[in-house]
Amino acid sequence: MRILLVEDDLSVSDYVARGLSENGHVCDVLADGTDGLFQGTRESYDVIVVDRMLPGLDGLSLVRAMRAAGVKTPVLFLTALGGIDDRVEGLEAGGDDYLTKPFAFAELLARVNALARRPPVQDVKTVLRVADLELDTLRRQARRGGVSIDLLPKEFTLLDVLMRNEGRVVTRTMLLERVWDFHFDPKTSVVETHISRLRAKIDKPFDVPLLHTIKNAGYSLYAPR
Amino acid sequence: MRPADLLRRTSFRLALGGALFILVTLVLASSIGYVEMRQHLLDRQDDRVTEIFAALEQTSRDADSQDLVEAVETRIAASPDHASIYLLKDASGAVLAANIPDVWIRPGWSTVDAATFGVATDYPYRVFAGTMAGRTVVVGLTNADLDDLAEIVLGGFGWTALFALVASLGAGAVIATRVQTRLAAAEATLHSVAKGDLAARLPVTGRGDDLDQISTAINAALARLGGLVEAMRQVSTDIAHDLRTPLNRLRIHIETAAGNAAMGQPVADDLAAAIAESDTIGETFAALLRIAQIEAGARRERFTRVDLADTVESLAEIYAEVAEDAGMAFSARTQSSAVIDGDKELLTQMFANLIENAIRHCPAGTVIVCSVAVTAASVVASVTDSGPGIPTAERELVLRRLYRLEKSRTTPGSGLGLSLVKAVADLHEATMTLTDAQPGLRVCLTFPKASADAPKDR
Repeated sequence: MRILLVEDDLSVSDYVARGLSENGHVCDVLADGTDGLFQGTRESYDVIVVDRMLPGLDGLSLVRAMRAAGVKTPVLFLTALGGIDDRVEGLEAGGDDYLTKPFAFAELLARVNALARRPPVQDVKTVLRVADLELDTLRRQARRGGVSIDLLPKEFTLLDVLMRNEGRVVTRTMLLERVWDFHFDPKTSVVETHISRLRAKIDKPFDVPLLHTIKNAGYSLYAPR
Repeated sequence: MRPADLLRRTSFRLALGGALFILVTLVLASSIGYVEMRQHLLDRQDDRVTEIFAALEQTSRDADSQDLVEAVETRIAASPDHASIYLLKDASGAVLAANIPDVWIRPGWSTVDAATFGVATDYPYRVFAGTMAGRTVVVGLTNADLDDLAEIVLGGFGWTALFALVASLGAGAVIATRVQTRLAAAEATLHSVAKGDLAARLPVTGRGDDLDQISTAINAALARLGGLVEAMRQVSTDIAHDLRTPLNRLRIHIETAAGNAAMGQPVADDLAAAIAESDTIGETFAALLRIAQIEAGARRERFTRVDLADTVESLAEIYAEVAEDAGMAFSARTQSSAVIDGDKELLTQMFANLIENAIRHCPAGTVIVCSVAVTAASVVASVTDSGPGIPTAERELVLRRLYRLEKSRTTPGSGLGLSLVKAVADLHEATMTLTDAQPGLRVCLTFPKASADAPKDR
């Protein structure tokens, strides 16, 4: 994937760029907001990662200008601003996701991956399949190997998020945001508890496990090769 | 207060202006009254002259009649002080009866100076000259009474005006002094606020007048300002106190790792500990910032209609199983349409914090109940556990930032959970009480119900 990183802190941009290249991505790094806007509108990228505070042109204005110019590339905001309104502002400006510093690289990578392959809204699949696991999002039914599985509403949403990100890591924080709409870090094992309940329903009765825990990163649903 | 100061006071100036207005009005009114009255009295006097003339005419049957002469002489005798004057002459011009010198008087009505009649007064006479059966009759009345009366009236008006002027100036001075006393107190308070004493408050008399209203508004603004400054100060102190310790631990982990690396020993464990420590620091920092921002009231403009029953039900869905895994029982009892104006995200975090507090600080076997009830004016939400509770003496303290009960020092946590709950409650103008659930702790939050008008749904 081609990724544009606009970040003025050299140690952060080196670290992120190296990590992305190690994971097989091509990463262009710019330190100035104006350059970022120019490059982002001229070249075609799969994902653009933008810091909120930039010299030249701040991140919010950069993304607004880019959206105004018709660039639809997914944008991930990075910020040291931990403010409760900053996330909303970022999304309103046209950002697609938001990550607060300090962050773990695994978190950034997972979010970049999730953004890059987000399907356009019109062709969202209604029936999701991973190996013999099947999720009908319209009839709200889950089956594995022809056996119907009873899921609670939140378990259904959890499975939906995991299946749409098949083969990719979904972090704990991403699950909290997308499944439970939690924009804070719970101090109890909310995610672990629900993952283990879901696992008991979709994996335990069957031979091949599909839901995998990725150490220090998150969870991933895929059929073993 | 010096007189010069008095003149500069708004209230005194208003009183002075009012007094001048009253004075001008009185002068105008009394001038009009004086003119009207004088005219009326003049008309009356003419009527009396006409009456006397008519009465004399009654006695004058022919040119030789002595009756008229007698009648005139009788009247002259009745007016020794020349209040009225008479002059009766026959056709040849000889004076028949008179109390004035023989002067020529224009026939008909006229006003004649007293000097003309040789009388020593300042007042003129109203005179009518006519003929009766060939004889000339002059009848006149002095204006002295009339002018006296007019002067009395005018004097009355003058005194009234003077009294009104003095009274309104006096009242103005009194009001100005009283207002000044209160304003001086307010001024002194604001001066001490400017010097940095944010606890100073303007005096409020409780009469509910305009000064009270302004003082109350300023006091509210001062309280808010004081709260914000206090919050800022608190955050800086908290950061200094609570982040130095984990920073120190972080440094120790890194130093150990560096030392181990120098000796060729594995460093993975120390580095993992360093990462965990820096995450903790980040979390504490974020929580402190978040609380400070909530306390600053930043989110209020994003308030929408929130149904607390929905919020609590969906949290119950999330935490029932977490509690079950911890060996506890969790249940929610909610009443529908528990609608308030608020921030859904913060309210969710608030209730999550309360539920998590119960799960983390209570032993297995604890029963946790979350309830939402609707009353006439408010929505009451509570989280009750059957755990060890909080000692009465410490209930206030736990709302402070970073405060932790002695026995919970060993469990992980920043000590910011309840202060965040308190901050969110304050933002929503909810009252928060901690009570003994016998056994256990009940945290009760009373929210004002959403206003029925002006729906804020987005």
